[in-house]
Amino acid sequence: MSIVNLLPVVVFLVFLLAVSAYVQKTSQSQRQKDFAKDYFIGGRTLGGFVLAMTTAATYSSVSSFVGGPGMAWVIGYGWIYMAIVQVVVIFLVLGVFGRKISLIAEEIDAVTVIDVIRSRYQSTALANLSALVIVAFFCATMVAQFVGAAKIFEAVTGFGYLTGLCLFGLIVVFYTTIGGFKGVAITDSFCAIAMVAGMAVLLLAMLKLGGGYEKMMTSISVSHPDMLEPLSQGKMPMSLYISQWLLVGICTLSLPQSVVRGLSYKNSSALRQAMIIGTLVIGAMNLLPNWIGVLGRTVLTENLSAYGGSVDNIMPLVITHSLSPFWASAIVIGPVAATISTVSSLLLSASSSIIKDVYMHSKAEKGEKLSNEAIRRYSTLATVILGIVVFFISIDPPSVIWQINMFAFGGLETAFFWVLIFGLFWSKANKYGALAAMSGGVFFYCLTMALKVKVFDLHQIVIGMFISLALFFLGNSFGKDPDRKVLEIFFPEKTEK
Amino acid sequence: MKRSEKFRQADREALATVAATAVIIVFWYLAGFGLADVPVKILHTPLWFWTGVVGTWLFATLLVIVLTKCVFNDKDEEKKEARS
Repeated sequence: MSIVNLLPVVVFLVFLLAVSAYVQKTSQSQRQKDFAKDYFIGGRTLGGFVLAMTTAATYSSVSSFVGGPGMAWVIGYGWIYMAIVQVVVIFLVLGVFGRKISLIAEEIDAVTVIDVIRSRYQSTALANLSALVIVAFFCATMVAQFVGAAKIFEAVTGFGYLTGLCLFGLIVVFYTTIGGFKGVAITDSFCAIAMVAGMAVLLLAMLKLGGGYEKMMTSISVSHPDMLEPLSQGKMPMSLYISQWLLVGICTLSLPQSVVRGLSYKNSSALRQAMIIGTLVIGAMNLLPNWIGVLGRTVLTENLSAYGGSVDNIMPLVITHSLSPFWASAIVIGPVAATISTVSSLLLSASSSIIKDVYMHSKAEKGEKLSNEAIRRYSTLATVILGIVVFFISIDPPSVIWQINMFAFGGLETAFFWVLIFGLFWSKANKYGALAAMSGGVFFYCLTMALKVKVFDLHQIVIGMFISLALFFLGNSFGKDPDRKVLEIFFPEKTEK
Repeated sequence: MKRSEKFRQADREALATVAATAVIIVFWYLAGFGLADVPVKILHTPLWFWTGVVGTWLFATLLVIVLTKCVFNDKDEEKKEARS
């Protein structure tokens, strides 16, 4: 292994750093006016392309590029058929929430999703609970991302786990801290391009190595005919398809890191463009890596046990088999980009929850107003401290962290799904319903996950969603309808004479 | 456009988006599972993969184009522009 091999990754990361520094420089004047608005939401200036790319890049994580293709290697085309359900994840959240939440944000000057939840339900308890859920699940996800990326970095480049983690871990924390939301959105766009381009290059290299697509397919259809069936002879049961349609399809509607993007765009043509571009890009992000995984079966022909018994080892081996050490190290940019584009957004959202939603609000309730300079200092500090904490946990992570990624996904969906949908579309929803739905849903989701209890062999997200819905109606019957003031902001069509 | 009208429009858009998702689910099922037993292969790859995976991807993109053209309108544009 030669240090020269690290050059592409380093150049990419330094480029992102430079982009963020530039964004920071050009945002000075807006930040002096209203720091929180520029730092946490980019001053509502995103265009369609950047909105699409940042939503897609934040959504796609390192597991889409490592664990997922590894499963495709085992299961075959059925796995891609399942993964492609994610074509809905961009346009669904932007189409359902994008317009309404931005209309409301204009009125109440919201910067975070929790701002919207707080002013809809008029409940500090609900806002604090939301912040807690976001910080806890986001931190777990960020650690899982770092660990996944550091592992593939180590396996592909030959440089150590810690070398990789220090390299992209510290750089992403730093560039997120200085660039704020706009920096995150623009660097996300470059990351999205790097992910798709990297996978396209890898696919081509593999096709060349394997003697062309048809030859590879002939060999798969002889040796593994099950890989050509959607149910993969029982390895891909129908219950898994249904679970995935919920977990990485419909329920992603309420992921706060996606919903917050509805607050950030410039105008409605940006929103429409983003829905189209996002759908195209997210499809490619799910198709390419998994296709590589399936075709990898002709490159790595032994049983899984020959490759260390873990599907996570497949993708690194496919990369090192298909490319020279230098280009293999360059391709690592793809999974690294997937990681840092997710981490940057989660880090900023988590720090906005702590500073904007909890700290600034508690100050405001006591009648103290923070100066713009104080907000700047605390926000930057919170981002950098949170980032460093996540970084240190990732150095020696708890062993279950890898599974926590999907677990956190479902937890966030359960917490926010009904609270956001009813909050924005049902004028009778009140805070008791929302509190019961969020706390009870998350509690039962975590409990059934821990006890491995399933209904009809479906993922626990189903239990979480049902209990959360039932508790919403139950809790709602104890509260009273929202005030007229709230209705005027959230449901003006109901209050007009 | 009055604010209440914008909200009605937002509701229409949300509903149409949900409907589009439902259409994609049906398309995905029919184009994948529905064609899983058809013995046709293209490039040694079963037809259901091309229709159910690549097809779903392209169909979803086309449907979103139609959705944004037909349901999402631009009347709030002027106000936003005036503001910025």
